[in-house]
Amino acid sequence: MNDFLTFSNMTLFVYYVLSNLAYLILLLLAIYSSTRYQRHLSSFRVERIKRSPLAPPISLLVPAHNEEKSIVQSVDSLLLLDYTELEVIVVNDGSEDGTLEALKSHFQLLETDVLYIPEVVSKPVRAVYMSQIEPRLLVVDKESGGSKADAINAALNAASSPYVCVVDADSILEKDALLRVMAPVLADPARVVAAGGIVRVLNGSRVEGGRMQEVRLPRRPLEVVQVVEYLRAFLVGREGWAFFNMLTIISGAFGIFRRDLVRRVGGYRASAIGEDIDLVMRFHRHLRESGADYEINFVPDPVCWTEAPADLRSLARQRARWQKGLLDVLWRNRDMLFRPRYGRLGFLALPYLWVFELLAPLIEVLGYTTIILAAALGVLSREFFIQFMIFGYAFATMISIGSVLLEEITFRRYNDWKDMARLLTYCLFEHLPYRQLHMLWRVQGMWQFLRGDAKWGTMQRAGFQGAGSK
Amino acid sequence: MPSVFNRIIDFIERLGPAGFVVQAIVATAAGIGLLLAFILGRRAWRHRLFQKRDRRAQEIRLHWDEIVSSEWPLQEWNVEEMDRGIVETLLLDQLETAQGEEARRLLQCLRLSGLLDRRILEARTRHGWQKRAALVLLGRTRAPEVISALASALDDASEETRVAAIRGLGRMGIPDAAVPILDHLIEGRLKLPSTVIQNALLNCSRRQPSILVPYLRRADAETRALVARALGEVATSDLGEDLLLLANDAQAEVRASAARSLGETELNLALSALGALAEDEEWFVRLRAVVALGNLRDERAIPMLVDALCDANRFVRLRAAAGLAKLSEHLETILDMVGEKKDRYAMQALVSELQRDGVVLEQVSELLGPAKQSAERILLRLVRSGALRLLVSTLLLHTNWRARVAVARLLARSGAEELAPLLENAIVKERSPRQRKITGWVLQRLAEGGASSKRELVPAR
Repeated sequence: MNDFLTFSNMTLFVYYVLSNLAYLILLLLAIYSSTRYQRHLSSFRVERIKRSPLAPPISLLVPAHNEEKSIVQSVDSLLLLDYTELEVIVVNDGSEDGTLEALKSHFQLLETDVLYIPEVVSKPVRAVYMSQIEPRLLVVDKESGGSKADAINAALNAASSPYVCVVDADSILEKDALLRVMAPVLADPARVVAAGGIVRVLNGSRVEGGRMQEVRLPRRPLEVVQVVEYLRAFLVGREGWAFFNMLTIISGAFGIFRRDLVRRVGGYRASAIGEDIDLVMRFHRHLRESGADYEINFVPDPVCWTEAPADLRSLARQRARWQKGLLDVLWRNRDMLFRPRYGRLGFLALPYLWVFELLAPLIEVLGYTTIILAAALGVLSREFFIQFMIFGYAFATMISIGSVLLEEITFRRYNDWKDMARLLTYCLFEHLPYRQLHMLWRVQGMWQFLRGDAKWGTMQRAGFQGAGSK
Repeated sequence: MPSVFNRIIDFIERLGPAGFVVQAIVATAAGIGLLLAFILGRRAWRHRLFQKRDRRAQEIRLHWDEIVSSEWPLQEWNVEEMDRGIVETLLLDQLETAQGEEARRLLQCLRLSGLLDRRILEARTRHGWQKRAALVLLGRTRAPEVISALASALDDASEETRVAAIRGLGRMGIPDAAVPILDHLIEGRLKLPSTVIQNALLNCSRRQPSILVPYLRRADAETRALVARALGEVATSDLGEDLLLLANDAQAEVRASAARSLGETELNLALSALGALAEDEEWFVRLRAVVALGNLRDERAIPMLVDALCDANRFVRLRAAAGLAKLSEHLETILDMVGEKKDRYAMQALVSELQRDGVVLEQVSELLGPAKQSAERILLRLVRSGALRLLVSTLLLHTNWRARVAVARLLARSGAEELAPLLENAIVKERSPRQRKITGWVLQRLAEGGASSKRELVPAR
């Protein structure tokens, strides 16, 4: 028993040091990459993309399931986006509320027989609507497929542009977000096959007419901690991985993809729980296997504001679902591990995801148990136990503060002094007790997956006004 | 007496192996403290800096005319880095939109104040981001004397610097700036993503597209395609004969670019050449040709577009349909010609595009206007060709009640039996008794297979 506990504690120690070291490296890379990008921005004008005849048309795909409260505002704001040629395809994925009715009455929809070619598989389409007042809008009404992926597939079939951009119906894109996210695509259309922007927490900010008016931190602690978490995940994680072209996820809330490639890989996998990571992994697989020279990019300034769960139950469901999605995708792609044909993806990114993302909750929960047990049994000096815990906490907190620093030296969306002070304060709570709760939800997600529960679950939504009200 | 620091070190050493963890904690806590201090300190510093800058910008604006006309002494604003930056930014911002005499005045100020020479020097001597920033700023000046500094940066070892240089040249937007780009390109010395080069060429050759033609003749295959793509975007009618040569090029990419540019040339010349390109063996050449034919908006393009509507490639068919939808004043002819083709997919693509493009709804509005008879004939053809749902929706939901009635009469006369299930479904869902009555009337007339009569359907008020 003692030997086991000693071994376990040693393993945990090494694991903890390695994981924090990995994050520290990602943070440093992200700082380097972001500051470089900032300098690039000084010589770059988004309006030039808007005027460029080379800017390709984009189809915005908006899957909507029970989005009655926010759908009209959301579509209105998408139609106001700055871009040369745009079509918006909303898919009503078997909503049980008044999503379709809200769209019908606001946009004066008429059922139509426009061409719908089912090139990728989705549940049957009930009707396709066009608007009497907005020619760029198309609404596809379909039976519920039980997944966002199925809804996106239906939208893909109706899309007619060479690039598609998936946007969540409960999210708001900044006016120039498309121009910015398309910048790497325009710079190198042959290589860049997909690009993702940053997703930020909408809660607390003031939204009017589907437009972000004032960026503020939310009031509730649970929401503020998520702001810190999103900053760390996007500004540090994605930026760091994208630096070496090893990005394995483009957020499902906002990402742009080459449509022919999406179709070539068979569209979104309808049964995928994490359809975003699944698609990017299949892109990597397909392109690496065909020996293509490609790039999947992350652009840190086009912002998509999204409503984060405001209550523990919704948050727990969301995080459990993310963990299920990760497990699902990693397990399916396990053959890519340590195979030379998949390059650094197989040797670095995927092992990292397995060890420091997927297994993290298991290792940490197991670690907490054994370390407490060892301290109680006297195998581990209690003094050392406390010191080790403090060190782990302090190091992780430093990384969180580092991500706030990154935000501060680059994009500075939170201008208010009070907001900044609160953001820094909440960095102290991200790793105690939020992190421990998060681990439990993720373990729960893995357990649900192993039991075969692949449901999406629901989230209580306040709509833009509710989420944004201060 | 040992210092506090020494006492802490003694304490850590006494802890033995655990001392390592304590050291780590202390280091991490120090790290956190430094980060916090940096974030908050930087915020405070920037706050003061911006306040000072705004104040100074305000003062400079008060003397703006004197600065531009060099009447305000240079030592008043050209000593402090911040002041220089403000003046330069204001000058360049104004230059972006200034024309004629005003642009010359602003440029003269840049020259006389030494700001331009300073940036040229930086572009030639500095490295890294400072050099790149200088290159981009030079491009914004649009002063001819900066071309050589920008051109020499095209040979820089760093790709980012080369990109900045070519962007700078592109920003100048004058044909002279295209020359070094084209020279480097022809000599194979320009290693950059093609879109960046293309963008710069587009900007520089827009006013004088003919500058690209001689290079096109001298270039190797890859470069030819790139230059041809740029030419395709900026071509004007005076390039006619040159474009005809390109339309017969062996390289498909060049033919496709020629197709794109032919849309901008003299109509007769374009029609025959595009007609030939619309039958090219490569689908993307056909696609470009069909897009250009559509953009001509000339009725003589209709037969070619109708042929393209039956193309084996789906994208070509869709683009042909989009082109035909733009010629809605000849819709009857188009529908006749497409009908003669007896190609179901072609008709489907056309009907779909007419719906998406709003042409069907336009025709519905025409039912209430002077072109009623023509609109009726067109809509009847469309109903029989598959535009059922949209017309049923119009019958139920059109914002103009008179249009609904007109559509009801039309549908009743259409004889399209496929309408029946849609109408039955609509009656079940419809809440308004008035609407149910009209829909029921259409259904009844359809079942009888007879023609409608105005007396039978009087819109209720």
